[in-house]
Amino acid sequence: MLKSTHKAAPLAPLPPGWTEHKAPTGHTYYYNAETKESTYKRPSVQPAAQLGPEPSYNPYGAVPNLSDPRVANAYMAQFNQPPPQAQRGGFGGGARGGLEGRPRPQPVDKPRRKEVIPGCEPWILVYTKYSRRFVYNPVKNASYWRIPEKLMPAILEMDKKRILGSTAGEDEKKETDNDQSKEQERKDAEKTAALDRDYESDEYMYEEVEAEATDDEGQDEGREGDENDDDEHPSKRQRTEMGGKGPLEFTEADIVAQLQAMGEDYGLEPGDYDDGNMEDWPEGAEGVEFSEEDAKFLFKDMLIDLNINPYSSWDKLLEEGKIIEDPRYTALSTTKARKECWDEWTREKIAELKEQRAKQEKKDPKIAWMAFLQEKASPKLYWPEFKRKYRKEDPMKDMKLSDKDREKSYREHINRLKMPQTTLKSDLTALLKAQPIHLLNNKSLANGLPAQVLTDIRYISLEPKIRDPLVEAYVQTLPPPPEDPSSAAEDEEQRKAREARERREKALEERNRMIEEQRRRRERDVAVSKARLREEERELEVAMRVGKRGLQSQLASMKPQEEEQQGEKGGS
Amino acid sequence: MPAIRHSSKRKPPPEGFSDIEDDLLIFANKMKDAQNKPPPPGPKHMAQWEIFQIAHQRSRYVYDLYYEKEAISKQLYEWLLKNGYADAMLIAKWKKQGYEKLCCLRCVQTKETNFNSTCICRVPRAQLKEDSDMQCVSCGCRGCASSD
Repeated sequence: MLKSTHKAAPLAPLPPGWTEHKAPTGHTYYYNAETKESTYKRPSVQPAAQLGPEPSYNPYGAVPNLSDPRVANAYMAQFNQPPPQAQRGGFGGGARGGLEGRPRPQPVDKPRRKEVIPGCEPWILVYTKYSRRFVYNPVKNASYWRIPEKLMPAILEMDKKRILGSTAGEDEKKETDNDQSKEQERKDAEKTAALDRDYESDEYMYEEVEAEATDDEGQDEGREGDENDDDEHPSKRQRTEMGGKGPLEFTEADIVAQLQAMGEDYGLEPGDYDDGNMEDWPEGAEGVEFSEEDAKFLFKDMLIDLNINPYSSWDKLLEEGKIIEDPRYTALSTTKARKECWDEWTREKIAELKEQRAKQEKKDPKIAWMAFLQEKASPKLYWPEFKRKYRKEDPMKDMKLSDKDREKSYREHINRLKMPQTTLKSDLTALLKAQPIHLLNNKSLANGLPAQVLTDIRYISLEPKIRDPLVEAYVQTLPPPPEDPSSAAEDEEQRKAREARERREKALEERNRMIEEQRRRRERDVAVSKARLREEERELEVAMRVGKRGLQSQLASMKPQEEEQQGEKGGS
Repeated sequence: MPAIRHSSKRKPPPEGFSDIEDDLLIFANKMKDAQNKPPPPGPKHMAQWEIFQIAHQRSRYVYDLYYEKEAISKQLYEWLLKNGYADAMLIAKWKKQGYEKLCCLRCVQTKETNFNSTCICRVPRAQLKEDSDMQCVSCGCRGCASSD
């Protein structure tokens, strides 16, 4: 509840015979000299007024000055007869007396800024710290929470202008915010329209609630509790000060609506500035205006904008406090909801990251290492010296490359540096020529050389200023890359398969030829042995032929035969 | 005593370690600070509370990454357990029903207590008679029953 700075307003006039005094303790008390009665509670005219004939009573006639909020309230309480409430009554009785001297500490409202109301010159519209406002006339030194009728049109005009201006200026704001404010405007308009329509028919709830707070006291104690009551509910009081007066156009709801509009201008929720009547807040004003999903999206946007690591824990995030300071942190109203949203977001984000990583090719750790080697290695340093000197460098700390490999490549590189330039150049050309066309082609310079070239020791052994023109010249002579890298790979495979088949066929032919030769040799052998057999048979036949001359003739014929045979043997 | 290898001769940690390296480093630093601090004034049993709490947080962090968010691979999870980034025994308890929020292993060790029962922090809050704020002796837990 807010405490008003409004103090100057005069109290309701004392009934005749009563005088006001101050006790030594500082309390104010009232004394009636005629009845010799004294009381702490302020007597008022009310009992007398109640005695008067009700039906013919003209309410507007007897009212002295309703611009004063307290009088207006007391006055209102007379004709509103709400159902009696035991609690309220009890509260207004004995307990109230003890609290009289020391009101509870309450936040103090202060004027913040003022605006001249165009058209009604001396009048000023003052906005307070808690986004309330009142009109003030410096000439008459009068101020009213309830805006007087004659100032109404001018102030409404001002409000319209301001709302239009603010919506026009907020282009860079989020879409949701825009929607919200538009919605708000629409609501305001509806509300005023509706209230203007049924204003005459009945007083709306707010008034009744207000009146109810004071009424039973008014009945029982003759308006004596009024002052205390004012201390308890100052803001409410001042709202309703003119409640019962004439046909007003500018109603309570208008103020409420304008307050809300102003609250939005300051980025406040209705919960932030307590305007004293929770039940009149627009729906959802306590929490969020937009839907649950929007809130979630807003929260996730914040997480993305603040570069939050999805792998870190929720506790750590809260400890850092970076997200708590962000206004979007309150898009979700409970910490539980926030944590859920956070969980959801991390899951999504991690899955996304995984996918991304799977897509992009793995970078060879050797590429960085080789580049580093080319830059830093020198024949003047042994490997241990080199290692010690550059141990803080990233390529040296990289865990993916073993120390052994590093040492090996370093030594090799240093050895190659001692070789003559011509050898190095020819090695480089050999390396480039060995690359297949789908890896190295005339687009390679723009896309970056393939990893096979970059990680080769032959590539880094020449100095860049000698090497680069060489590579460039070679690459420009190359044909463009094949259409599809996968088809190139296929070609490669096909070629391999064809080669293998050819090789197999050749091998088969060779084998067939061998077999054929063997077969022919065997046939010849067989023929030779057959011929020899026939020869021997013929000899036997000749031997069997024994003539009349007997053995002699045979022996004689044998001799030339033997000679013949010997000659044959020598020939064969 | 296993051989302590130089960092350059160690095998690299599994894929994905670089994502969580920073957070683990923060935990490690916190733990080191807690260990090197002079003991806090007050009861002796409170001296180790912070150590237990950090160990719990770190284990929970690894557990969440592997079982809840499925953000790290099995190899990395096992590597973390092997290298002492999380308490495997404690995580084994968290997988059991009724022990989902267990604060430390000492609180379910019945043998070492006077009445052969678990720690006061294992008692559900609904069953506690006095609703005062208590912390358990072994690790300063304020209640780790699954229903809390």
